[in-house]
Amino acid sequence: MTPLQFTEEQRDCLQELVNVAMGLASDKLARYLDTLVHLQVPAIELVDTLQLPQHVNQRYGEQSTTLVSLGFFGDQGLRGEAIMLYQLENVGVIAQLLGYSDDDSSEAEMLTDISSVLTTTSLNGLAEQLENSFSYAAPRILSSRDQHFSRKLTETASQWQLALMVDIRYQLTDYSFNCDMMMLIPGEAVLRLRQMLDKILAGF
Amino acid sequence: MQLSGVFEPLLAQLNSGVVVLDSQYRVVFFNQFIARRANVILTAVQGQSLFDVFDDLPKAWLQRKLDSVRELQVPSFSNWEQRQYIFKLPHLRPLSTGSDYMAQNCSIMPLTAPGGNASYLCILIEDATDAFFYQQQLQSSMLQLELANRTDGLTGIYNRRYWQQQLQQELLRATRYQHPLSLLLFDLDKFKQLNDTYGHQGGDAVLTAVAQSISALLRDTDIFGRYGGEEFGVILPETTLSGALMVANRICSTIAEKTINYNQQDIALTLSIGVSSFEQQSADEMIQQADIALYNAKRQGRNCVRTYVAEGYLQKVK
Repeated sequence: MTPLQFTEEQRDCLQELVNVAMGLASDKLARYLDTLVHLQVPAIELVDTLQLPQHVNQRYGEQSTTLVSLGFFGDQGLRGEAIMLYQLENVGVIAQLLGYSDDDSSEAEMLTDISSVLTTTSLNGLAEQLENSFSYAAPRILSSRDQHFSRKLTETASQWQLALMVDIRYQLTDYSFNCDMMMLIPGEAVLRLRQMLDKILAGF
Repeated sequence: MQLSGVFEPLLAQLNSGVVVLDSQYRVVFFNQFIARRANVILTAVQGQSLFDVFDDLPKAWLQRKLDSVRELQVPSFSNWEQRQYIFKLPHLRPLSTGSDYMAQNCSIMPLTAPGGNASYLCILIEDATDAFFYQQQLQSSMLQLELANRTDGLTGIYNRRYWQQQLQQELLRATRYQHPLSLLLFDLDKFKQLNDTYGHQGGDAVLTAVAQSISALLRDTDIFGRYGGEEFGVILPETTLSGALMVANRICSTIAEKTINYNQQDIALTLSIGVSSFEQQSADEMIQQADIALYNAKRQGRNCVRTYVAEGYLQKVK
């Protein structure tokens, strides 16, 4: 086992923290979005960044995806980049359903807005569980519609050691779609995260 | 050192705008950056609604952003590339930038007073006018590059590479919609002699003048390019062979009747034209056929138009 891999205990602990964080976020978002949205407790998966491009490829294949990135930084060296992946066909619908069609916002603006709300709400929840707090960089759309993301991931894989894939599923009254949140965490921060998990585990 | 005492002057000197609102979006504070640029005095507007103090804000949009920050206690962002500005403020580059207002990156953050229940919101405004300016410059440079990349340096018409790309495009279009498409290739007659007599600068002047007078004879949709030294090509979309012949004959006679003045000398010249028309052949084949027709025009006395006809049959048209 490399020092960056998680023990089963650490993994379970993280899964539990994410579940709680997502539950909180789900509650907040549902209220904010006028209870139209139900956020299901997601499944998380830890992926080696070398396998990540494959993973993404399997999931999205040759479909067009839109990606929005949002960097986060916490205390004690915990940091990373959260990436929201949307299937292109969902993008217009998200905006419409979340009531963003009433003004002059561009699609890009709506997408960054929604991503920002979803990621920061979820990450704030996670930070709270880790007794930490995060500050955020402004969200950015990473890829235009025709670029293929897995290729990009291959190019940047060396900067990241761990990817935490969080599958978020939104259910709306008469429509359902899902998108993924991916947290990319660099090696040093992975070690920090493991230490934090160990501390929490020791407290039980 | 009493740290809190330095925050006020720090905020005043900060080169970013800071606006603090209460949970009802009433103005609690803004720093000097905002006061000077918006020309408002804090004490005069304190306690008033943000939307009353700054009446040209994008209200529905900003309201939703503020709501998300207040209710979810998460930050919200706005980028100048997506929305150039939120607050209509002047910027400090009025001479060097075309933009009317300061391009802005904005962050809206939840603020909770330590120990208190009172929750506030902070709008942080960063001047991104320089980035905006460089982006504009970059875009105009890209546009120029794109133009340069498709233009023949001497004559100003399309260069060979771009012209051939366009032929491919027109061929696809003609195939898809089953529309006619024709091609002219022409060559100045005895150009080498002309170059020897008047020098290369004289030759260049002739090429430029010819390109100009032919451009004036073409429709906007025709695609005119320099194929090689003294060889030119015209793509004629939506044009049958007989239509192309009319254009070719007009070009031929216009140039023959014209003289070009160079260094107080009148230079007379003629050109020969080969015509081919699209019949499901490839772009290369179309060019090759026009080239064969052009060769025949040269062989049959120059200053004339010939069309390509299969099986070696030569059709005399002028």
